[in-house]
Amino acid sequence: MALILTRGGFALPGTSLNFKTGTWRVQKPYHRHLSAPCHAVCPAGEDAQAYIAKVDEGHFQQAWETLVAVNPLPAVTGRVCHHPCESACNRGQFDEPLAIHKIERLLGDQAIEQGWAYPVEKPRKSALRVAVVGAGPAGLSAAYHLVRRGYNVTLFDQLPEPGGILRTALPAYRLPRLVLDAEVGRLLAVGIDFRPHHRLGRDVSLDELKADYSAVFLGPGDQKSREWSIDGVVQRDLHVGLDLLKEWVAMGSVPQCKSVAIVGGGNTAIDLSRILKRAGVGEVHVVTHQALPGPDIPKEEAMSAIRREIDQALEEGVVIHTHRGIRRLILRGEKVVGVELVHMKKMEKGGKKQTIAFEGTETVLHVDQVIPAVGQEVDPFGMETLLHQKNAFEVDHWGRIAGQDGIFVGGDARTGSSGTVSGAIGDGRRAAEAIDAFLREDKAPEENEAPTLAFERLNLNYYEHAPRQREVVLPVDKRLGCEEIEGGLSISQVSLEARRCFSCGNCFACDNCWTLCPDQAVLKTKELASDGSHYVFDYDYCKGCGLCANECPCGFIAVEEEI
Amino acid sequence: MTADTAPSIPDLRNSQLRFRAMESGHRACLGCGQALAARLVTESAGPDVMIANATGCLEIFTTPWPESAWRIPWMHSLFENTGAIASGMEAALKAQGKSTKVIAQGGDGGTFDIGFQALSGMLERGHNVLYVCYDNEAYMNTGIQRSSSTPHAAMTTTSPPGKERMGKRHLKKDIISIIAAHHIPYAATASVAYPSDLRKKVRRALAIEGPTFLQIHAPCPLGWGHEGDQSIAVARLAVQTGLFPIIELERGRLAGAMPLRDIKPVTDYLKAQQRFRHLFQDDPRAREELEHLQALADHNIEVYGLRGEAPDKLDSEGADTVQRGGVRWA
Ligand SMILES: Cc1cc2nc3c(=O)[nH]c(=O)nc-3n(C[C@H](O)[C@H](O)[C@H](O)COP(=O)(O)OP(=O)(O)OC[C@H]3O[C@@H](n4cnc5c(N)ncnc54)[C@H](O)[C@@H]3O)c2cc1C
Ligand SMILES: Cc1ncc(C[n+]2csc(CCOP(=O)(O)OP(=O)(O)O)c2C)c(N)n1
Ligand code: SF4
Ligand code: SF4
Repeated sequence: MALILTRGGFALPGTSLNFKTGTWRVQKPYHRHLSAPCHAVCPAGEDAQAYIAKVDEGHFQQAWETLVAVNPLPAVTGRVCHHPCESACNRGQFDEPLAIHKIERLLGDQAIEQGWAYPVEKPRKSALRVAVVGAGPAGLSAAYHLVRRGYNVTLFDQLPEPGGILRTALPAYRLPRLVLDAEVGRLLAVGIDFRPHHRLGRDVSLDELKADYSAVFLGPGDQKSREWSIDGVVQRDLHVGLDLLKEWVAMGSVPQCKSVAIVGGGNTAIDLSRILKRAGVGEVHVVTHQALPGPDIPKEEAMSAIRREIDQALEEGVVIHTHRGIRRLILRGEKVVGVELVHMKKMEKGGKKQTIAFEGTETVLHVDQVIPAVGQEVDPFGMETLLHQKNAFEVDHWGRIAGQDGIFVGGDARTGSSGTVSGAIGDGRRAAEAIDAFLREDKAPEENEAPTLAFERLNLNYYEHAPRQREVVLPVDKRLGCEEIEGGLSISQVSLEARRCFSCGNCFACDNCWTLCPDQAVLKTKELASDGSHYVFDYDYCKGCGLCANECPCGFIAVEEEI
Repeated sequence: MTADTAPSIPDLRNSQLRFRAMESGHRACLGCGQALAARLVTESAGPDVMIANATGCLEIFTTPWPESAWRIPWMHSLFENTGAIASGMEAALKAQGKSTKVIAQGGDGGTFDIGFQALSGMLERGHNVLYVCYDNEAYMNTGIQRSSSTPHAAMTTTSPPGKERMGKRHLKKDIISIIAAHHIPYAATASVAYPSDLRKKVRRALAIEGPTFLQIHAPCPLGWGHEGDQSIAVARLAVQTGLFPIIELERGRLAGAMPLRDIKPVTDYLKAQQRFRHLFQDDPRAREELEHLQALADHNIEVYGLRGEAPDKLDSEGADTVQRGGVRWA
């Protein structure tokens, strides 16, 4: 080694380097990437930790690129997703979870504002062609991920414009159309051939698609309302919740009435209740046999609507009757004048879950409309041969239908779907991977996610408490039209949020190991990198004490037996 | 960086963005707090220093003949005369018109007990020397004998718990007050659990013309009875319980103290170490000693006003906060 004398120094430098204390070691520290909980639970598969790290470094565009490598619609999901990432965020056990969805939203909005290009190359003309049916979140995601993988994609939808439920039923006060148009428009511009007004089964058949394309992805969503009646009785002027909502979204009109009971506990029921309230209906009731969602309520017993939307509906004066069902429609002639409510709960009875009504708890509610919003199912039109009389497609984790090579399904239309935008986006991405593997005659793709970092593995001593940044919310008396209710965070607020991230399971170049190794056995490279490569263990001298592993704040260092 | 452009490890070592005064290859035990403390002290002191080192673990494990871990002029004094040797080095440098700083360093045995007289003389004569005491609370190099720094009730080979006593009978000597009574410009305590605070204090002491003193709490896994990976955790608890106050004294007056945000019970600290395990047996004397140690911590908290009023960036919880990119406050 070259002789390096230090100022004031006369000794041969570091002759103890001749003695390799690494030979003492019986266990060795090593770097290990673990999945952050926000990443592990994201239905779309986003790695929030990874893009938040980029934000913290000040690289907003790179952060967005990391994000859209998985989810091409962050401005949308940043607004409408129920963000399970935040419920899982380890920081929630320390003070408050990170405002992940606000970071996601800002990145999406910035990309639109700054015109950042999706990191995707236009497919070659000679590349294989894949058909995608349905331009909802599932279809859009599948199409995008197929283009990313180099395929020519034709995207069919029966409607004149893309977006699916996002466009047809999501009220603009929570998803402004400017945002939707901009993001979906940019997405299609990566090179997707979009064919509106094309209905599968009417304008093009499944057999034609199978013949003309190498593979087909179906994301038709749930287009048919479930049958509804009370013991076979329905009023004559029956309106179905989702249809009303779509009418309002398209035309701004709702039926006139003084009081209404909406049956159901999902997003449709809540969105409808809120627009009816805006339209001046005096009394708006939501009747559901489920409970308000909360941390102690099992998922299957809770209303499926997003808690934030439920809270805003309550603020706006909607009355929610939980654990209630309708025993009887009170009709005058064939017109509704009221309903009889009864306490109801889903319980174990005779070995299976049943909704039980409790006798003696009946009450009467006088309303002049009853609107069911009890869910949707697949419209089999044009796809009968794949459905086998079922109301959803039976598929595996990759969206494959048994015995139907080359046909893939995702989004609301598959059995067990989460019924969420992020879930549909995740389905689209996985199916694109599976299609790619199928067309390259590869084995089935493999999901190899690292295990999740548990809260207990963090060393909290190195983090400081900091409040979550808050957005501006439109006050209740201003919520009249389509103005967006929830504001976003500013760039500086988002930077502060990113600083709060624990960086669970992934090095954030904090220097702790470098600072605390008593043996100078952790060395640092010149290039600052937050992927762990910034630090190198010098195993010639590491004695294997494990101090670095214990003091690494984020659980990135583990220790393994060596002999 | 790809594998073929990555520098070799020796090249990487030579291009570290910090001064490496104390190199790898030294023979300290796994997780040695003193090795870490000495590395932090000398790397913050920078290259223009000379060291007089008392006999003790640090001296032994850094200089096994014919090797040395030191990359700065370093001299082994005797166990008992480090203060005197450092005084002589400083006087000689002064005579040559050199500005090189002198650091004297030793263990608690070499400082509190056997080298105390030479240290006191050095302070009294006003030599421009920083004296650093690595306080691992016993004579570790010769096999864990009690020193005047060993805490009350701790077990050492010469203060075993038994029928007569529950570990060391006497109290830990209040060395910092004795040092401060020399009316020197700066004396402080620090801990390996708070490296930024430690580094700041080294730089501050070296910037002062005149005698300065630093007492650094440095866990000894072997002597204290904990795993090597726990050294920082144990040192941190000593501070968080109030048993080892982090303070600064200027000309004998208290000039600053690290406030405690979440004060922990002393048992949190004690039960992490085998040298206190006899205090957790079912014995009324053990219970009394636990109360005694708690009272000593409470006393420290009161005397030095350690209880923080509101969370502070530089209190016991905030002072070790880390950030992406390694940005630290010192
Ligand atoms: C009122 C309401 C509010 C909601 N709010 C939220 C929310 O806040 N957050 C959330 O995560 N989720 C919400 N959801 C659920 C979410 O919208 C859906 O889970 C998601 O849109 C499903 O996406 P998809 O692509 O599977 O189906 P869709 O969005 O339904 O898209 C299907 C598309 O396929 C087209 N299509 C169907 N059949 C054919 C055919 N035969 N030929 C050609 N095209 C066809 C349709 O026109 C449509 O464009 C809400 C749902 C509703 C109804
Ligand atoms: C005059 C003298 N007495 C005794 C010794 C033996 N001796 C060498 S190191 C040591 C213990 C040092 O203890 P301390 O100063 O606390 O430092 P530590 O080893 O704990 O770091 C002793 C007693 C000696 N070298 N010289
Ligand atoms: S602290 Fe950061 S990495 Fe950890 S779960 Fe929360 S957002 Fe994800
Ligand atoms: S201690 Fe800090 S720098 Fe070292 S591996 Fe962990 S996160 Fe990275």
